[in-house]
Amino acid sequence: MKDIKVVKYKWLVIISTLLLVGLAIIPVFNIQTNSDLESYLPESMPSRINDVKIEEIFGKSDPMIILFESSDVLNDSTLERIRSLSKEFNRMKQFDMVMSLFDSKNIKGENGSMVVDPVVKRIPKSDKRKEKLRNEIKENELVYKTIISEDFRYTTIILNSAGNASDEVILALINDQLEAYPGNEKVTLFGLPYMRLEANEKITRDLMILLPVGLLIMFLFLIISFKQKRGAILPFLVVAFSIVFAMAIIPIAGWEMSIIGVLIPIMMIAIANNYGIHFVTRYQELSASHPEMSVKEIVNNTTRYLTKPIILTGLTTIVGVSGLITHIILPAKQMGVATAIGIAFALVLSLAFVPAIAVMLKKGKIPESSSGKGNTMLDRMLGGIAKVTTSKPRLVIFFFVTFLILSAFGLSRFEVAADNNKLFSEKHPYNQTLRVANKEFGGTKIINVLFDGDIKDPAVLERMDQYEEELKNLPEVGNVNSIATVIRIMSRAINDPQDAMYDRIPDSREAVAQYLVLYAMSGDPADFENFVDFDYTKALMTIQYQAADMQTLEKVENKVRELIQDDENASIVGGYSLVEKELSEAVAKGQVNSLIFALLVIFILLIIIFRSLSAGLIGSLPLIFTIISMFGLMGWLGIELNIVTALLSSISIGLGVDYSIHLFWRIKHEVAKKNSYTEAIKTSLRTIGRGITINAFSVIIGFSVLFLSSFPYVHSFAILIIASLFLCLVGALILVPAICMLSRPKFFKK
Amino acid sequence: MKKMKKLLKSQGILLIICFISINAFSQTAREISEKASDIINFKSMEMTSTLKIFDSKGRVRVRQIVTATREFDQIPKTIIKFTSPADVKGTTMLVYDNKTEDDDMWIYLPALRKTRRIVSSERGKSFMGSEFTNADMVKPNMDDFNYKLLPDATLSGKECWIVETICKDEDIEDANGFSRQVYWIEKGTYLCHKIEYYDLDNELHRIQTIKDYRKQSDGGYFAFFLKKENIQNGRKSTMKIDEFLENSTMPESAFSPTALGK
Repeated sequence: MKDIKVVKYKWLVIISTLLLVGLAIIPVFNIQTNSDLESYLPESMPSRINDVKIEEIFGKSDPMIILFESSDVLNDSTLERIRSLSKEFNRMKQFDMVMSLFDSKNIKGENGSMVVDPVVKRIPKSDKRKEKLRNEIKENELVYKTIISEDFRYTTIILNSAGNASDEVILALINDQLEAYPGNEKVTLFGLPYMRLEANEKITRDLMILLPVGLLIMFLFLIISFKQKRGAILPFLVVAFSIVFAMAIIPIAGWEMSIIGVLIPIMMIAIANNYGIHFVTRYQELSASHPEMSVKEIVNNTTRYLTKPIILTGLTTIVGVSGLITHIILPAKQMGVATAIGIAFALVLSLAFVPAIAVMLKKGKIPESSSGKGNTMLDRMLGGIAKVTTSKPRLVIFFFVTFLILSAFGLSRFEVAADNNKLFSEKHPYNQTLRVANKEFGGTKIINVLFDGDIKDPAVLERMDQYEEELKNLPEVGNVNSIATVIRIMSRAINDPQDAMYDRIPDSREAVAQYLVLYAMSGDPADFENFVDFDYTKALMTIQYQAADMQTLEKVENKVRELIQDDENASIVGGYSLVEKELSEAVAKGQVNSLIFALLVIFILLIIIFRSLSAGLIGSLPLIFTIISMFGLMGWLGIELNIVTALLSSISIGLGVDYSIHLFWRIKHEVAKKNSYTEAIKTSLRTIGRGITINAFSVIIGFSVLFLSSFPYVHSFAILIIASLFLCLVGALILVPAICMLSRPKFFKK
Repeated sequence: MKKMKKLLKSQGILLIICFISINAFSQTAREISEKASDIINFKSMEMTSTLKIFDSKGRVRVRQIVTATREFDQIPKTIIKFTSPADVKGTTMLVYDNKTEDDDMWIYLPALRKTRRIVSSERGKSFMGSEFTNADMVKPNMDDFNYKLLPDATLSGKECWIVETICKDEDIEDANGFSRQVYWIEKGTYLCHKIEYYDLDNELHRIQTIKDYRKQSDGGYFAFFLKKENIQNGRKSTMKIDEFLENSTMPESAFSPTALGK
């Protein structure tokens, strides 16, 4: 028998592999992290286009919120602290807007004059003055429940970054000032710059911990499974090399690491050893059952036998993860490309580098179970499975159908995450502040409506005022503000309560213009910059609300759209909450797309590989079973579909189908040896079943490292991927043989 | 002991000399500023002017105003009346430039047929939403600042003294909205051609250029064109005097809140 090429040119294979990996290490050191989820969204998203249009007129909005908690924030020391801080922040060029009790305005009528003062002009020194201030604040709708909470336990300083400072700089400035002006208040931070920075730190930390721990666990697992050093080292080298290769793709393609990117090396740990493991299993099996064969013969034989199934299973896995390329968000596409290339590399290594090394090693002591006649727990279990599936296939199918129906009930409780606020754990200060913001400040979600036209026209203002009233009636809506709100406040300051003009939009354009002139004399013209543009042709209405799920998001958005649908002045509806909503919808859609894509391609591949429609159908069954059970399980466990868990099904399909392919391949091999179906299935389960199980558990153990991640999203992902791989395994080892027993497909005989 | 006394004495003398020299310098700088201020001081006048407010994208808001100033009992009183645009036509302000207390201000709104008081203590606040501030519209309080003479310079061929005025404390800084100013004052004529305003971080914030000085009958000058540019945000405002009358003959009764709108 002629040597296979990789054995013949083993040195060339080994040296070129080492050279390639050595080169790939260089770019890995230049990987940058970027946790800004918004930056990954395609710019063509309608909600982003709208946001950009609003930003062009009203500036970029990227606020940081500093929340102060005290039994009563209207006390001397808290107010002193806020005054000092807001004064410092106002001086900083990095912030183009500062909102606090000392910056926001109180517009009031006093002895026939309109007075525009900061909400707190002087810190009240007596209880009487303090209560007077409290009552003023309660009447100031620009401040009450936006800058200060209903019960006066919380107050905020809101800073908008001018756009050129990095998140690090912004947070450092804030923290430095908080230290320079210490106090007894409990201070927490909120806002995307903080969220991004925290996430970035956690991404780096995750990589530092997950990767080494993952590699170590994988190595130990391989040693225990194969009871032989080379059995562990060869697949391990494949893993390590292909991780380097996959990670090198990220900086080479000019990408940055997102929270999703953290999964790439872990996926490589879990997936890349598959092919090496099958090599070692077959190598050990042949060594044990044919002690007369030389190392060279074993390597030649193993490689010849495995080339096709490894390429096929590798191909299906690559197709599965490539499903991610159809995903709308960039990091998912990137993950698809990087892992696909990494897996392809692992595949080549397993068929070239592994045999090239293996042929140079001496034949070691081979554990007994390798021949398929061993008596470990795994062997006994596989024997049992073989017995049950071949003797009672109908019962097996009945159990699977029952399980499927039970899980499918969970589908009714399945939810798509409305936002990414659950990125951190419940206990993280970010989420604590989020809860306070929702409870005390009317919510953290924003919808913006842009009005176009003559903003001083009373008819336009009157309509804006009406929308505000209607929106405020929704229980989810906390605050609605616009130039109409301000005009109405002015009408109260300028007119006496008995006047017809009191507390309403004036009826002439002149009166509106004159209100504004009056304000320009007493207040700062920049006060309205968030509400109206320079020439009063564009105005922004800001709706602040809270929503924990997609239904509420939709309810508020639909109400806004319904109100403005016949208003020719109201044009764009934007705001970050709509971007989040569109992202969530896109994630759900991306999930469906990549799922259909992967299933379809794998179905076709199975048909081509085994030249049989029934192979496609039977091979796809465990996958469909797994997917339906998975979504049901998510419903039952209350795990939402979010940007991370949405990656799941493509990956599990890509991996899960391998088990069926290996099984089919072996059954076919056994049938060709003139064995009966029953015997072929039994033998296959005992031999390749061992490889499949070890393989599946190695993947499961690889992914279980993800429980050490700092992100709850990643934990959910780990639970689900482990559960789904287990389901795929069970489906391949129990359901598929049972169906084969019943249907006796002809493709095994081809 | 004796040595010590002698040392103290010499130190004391040194201190006095230092003090005198600083004082002599600052006197000169302050004197220049005072003269520059006096040369454009009109106790009574009437004028029509056009205020243009440009944003950073070059969009412009145009306001036409008529102003009359007269001094009664040493309190300068000013009436500012809008004549354009149409929606604010007839809107009239009245300002009493009080010496010690905050200024008194009223505004008459024709659409409401109402006069309302305006309470404002901040001179650094924008004038009508322009880059000019209320402080630009009244005479500065000379005692609020320290004065320093910087090396001379020329500005478009004119020999100028460069006078730096520095706010004496943070409250004055806050009220004016700047920490210091640098004046270009032409030698001989005492006409100021340029003022730089530095913000509270001591960075250049605004530059005002003053042009088209016209000599008046009493020997004083009046500038017919002012431009103030905000270096930091790219906005600018201009004020052009269209008509100027040296003496106002408006009666004192016209400068009263109840007379506004009549």
